[in-house]
Amino acid sequence: MAQEYLILDIVIWFGLYLIVCISLNVEYGFGGIPNFGRALAVLIGAITVGGIVNRILMATFGVSGGIVEASGLVKSVTNEIIAANPAIGIGILVASLLLAALLGAITGALFILPSAKLSEDYLAITLLAISEVMFMVSYYNTDMIGGYYGVSVPNVLAFVPGEQRLSIFALIILLIAFLAYLLVDRVTNSPYGRLLRAIRENEMVAEAYGKNVMVVRIKTVAFGSAIAALAGALYAYYSVNVIASSFSRVEWTFYPFLMILLGGLANNKGVIAGVLAFVTVKVLLMVYKFEITAALHLPFEAVWLEYIMFGILMLIILIYKPEGLIKEKPIMTDPIKRLVDKIKKAK
Amino acid sequence: MKEILKTKNLSKFFYGLKALDRVNINVEKDKLTLIIGPNGSGKTTLINVISGFYKADEGQILFNGMDITNKPPHEINWHGIVRTFQVPQPLKKLTVLENLLIAEQNPGERILNSLLKKWVKKEEEIVEKAYNYLEFLGLDHLWDSEAYKLSGGQLKLLEIGRALMANAKLIVMDEPIAGVNPVLANNILDRITELKKQGITFLIVEHRLDIILKYVDHVYVMANGKVIAEGGAEEILNNKEVIEVYLGATDEAVKCGV
Ligand SMILES: Nc1ncnc2c1ncn2[C@@H]1O[C@H](COP(=O)(O)OP(=O)(O)OP(=O)(O)O)[C@@H](O)[C@H]1O
Ligand SMILES: [Mg+2]
Repeated sequence: MAQEYLILDIVIWFGLYLIVCISLNVEYGFGGIPNFGRALAVLIGAITVGGIVNRILMATFGVSGGIVEASGLVKSVTNEIIAANPAIGIGILVASLLLAALLGAITGALFILPSAKLSEDYLAITLLAISEVMFMVSYYNTDMIGGYYGVSVPNVLAFVPGEQRLSIFALIILLIAFLAYLLVDRVTNSPYGRLLRAIRENEMVAEAYGKNVMVVRIKTVAFGSAIAALAGALYAYYSVNVIASSFSRVEWTFYPFLMILLGGLANNKGVIAGVLAFVTVKVLLMVYKFEITAALHLPFEAVWLEYIMFGILMLIILIYKPEGLIKEKPIMTDPIKRLVDKIKKAK
Repeated sequence: MKEILKTKNLSKFFYGLKALDRVNINVEKDKLTLIIGPNGSGKTTLINVISGFYKADEGQILFNGMDITNKPPHEINWHGIVRTFQVPQPLKKLTVLENLLIAEQNPGERILNSLLKKWVKKEEEIVEKAYNYLEFLGLDHLWDSEAYKLSGGQLKLLEIGRALMANAKLIVMDEPIAGVNPVLANNILDRITELKKQGITFLIVEHRLDIILKYVDHVYVMANGKVIAEGGAEEILNNKEVIEVYLGATDEAVKCGV
């Protein structure tokens, strides 16, 4: 049984982090945009579910009052309906994901808009700051998503027997992660991916050759944020509640950066490798914390090792393996592949 | 006698330094116009202002009669002007081929088009064109190496190839043949002469007069941010002021070149 939970935990976190990391890789790995506000897009996804879908359901069922209590009521009513009618559960999930992506894109574009002209370092700090402000507001303002109380979220799988819920949810997360991966991979293996890398390497050249660097950056952050917001919405439905404190910069910005650095920037396959390696270690550490603490005679819980370990890992990558597990590769479009064949034949 | 580019009293100041001081030039269509002048005389600054990288402080730039002064660089490119950089600017982690492929606008550079694969035809066309330019420049064997691996001269060639690729109406080059071997430099200028016949205009800054002078149609001489002389190559070589500030009285090598 414990074994099964271990694997499910790895699958769920692999899926969620793959979605976030694949989006961050488009922005940072390909485009060189240091989006240190990645957690914001994830939070927006969660707000979509906890703050907006909840209110839509409140209006539908005529429930009034504060969001904290009302969300609890709405949850029990909605769960009953979904239990009798699975299509509604799936419908709510799909509609929420689409709405989360839309709102993610809009907020992403809005937040990069004033700062897109800044140089890389300032841009990073500005995005981090904006993300922190949103985090604070949603944690201390109890109207939005219940602040430090949090809000309840319906169980979109209420029609599934309790003991199967986790595994089915894991599959759903994995499926969405897979689709997000395919989407990003297709979009980046194209002249757009090449353009992003060109802008990353030399903005001046890109401008000289007619690329509107600002607009490309804004669209890219909108695209990346739309995808990252999916993870936030999925996480909200997975944990059947939303509380702002779950969307910290460590979990949803720094760890994703670490994972894409580990896997290799501007390489989608590298992201898979990086996320899988990171999540496996993280979950194992969590599950075997007591054993590890005892074995190493640690004066503190092994979970605290996490921060230290990942910090050291980050330094090791940056110093000794800056290209990550899988190196960046040129974009091989079909016409380029045909050129390769031609060159080979000529030889 | 049609001019494609015209600057009117164009000035650029850097904290009191007049890097460009009321510069008036006319670039004739389908011709090669050369700009020469001592180091620090404002040639690169002029290119930077024309291409939108620096804002002009005074004056106007007209391209085909249209005012393009102080437009952002990418918009100036859309009008049909492309420029190279004196210090080569490779996209270091991109391959040599990829460095050329970004020279044109490809519909697949938009997210939605890239998803719908609405770019394969254009890609086919520019890949072939880029490879032909690499063959011409003798860089074809390096097509898949990252640009940071190129030598100094090869980087200059890459810079030239990218500009020639770009389907521009006016190509502005900042010292294109500095550091390029003479045979290839002549080949490049022959190619430029061919391209002129196809309706492309060139504005070039270059110190290697021994090689370039026989290809040029018109010359401007700059000193201290001002245009001090203009005319045909012969005329300029015999201009006393030009000899004084730039050529040097005993520079036989330059004259032998013509
Ligand atoms: N960004 C800048 N800030 C301050 N001064 C500048 C800047 N760019 C150019 N200058 C100054 O403007 C003057 C003209 O420089 P420019 O680069 O145009 O010379 P140039 O004619 O291209 O010289 P060279 O033949 O050496 O390339 C120089 O005195 C230079 O120091
Ligand atoms: Mg110069």
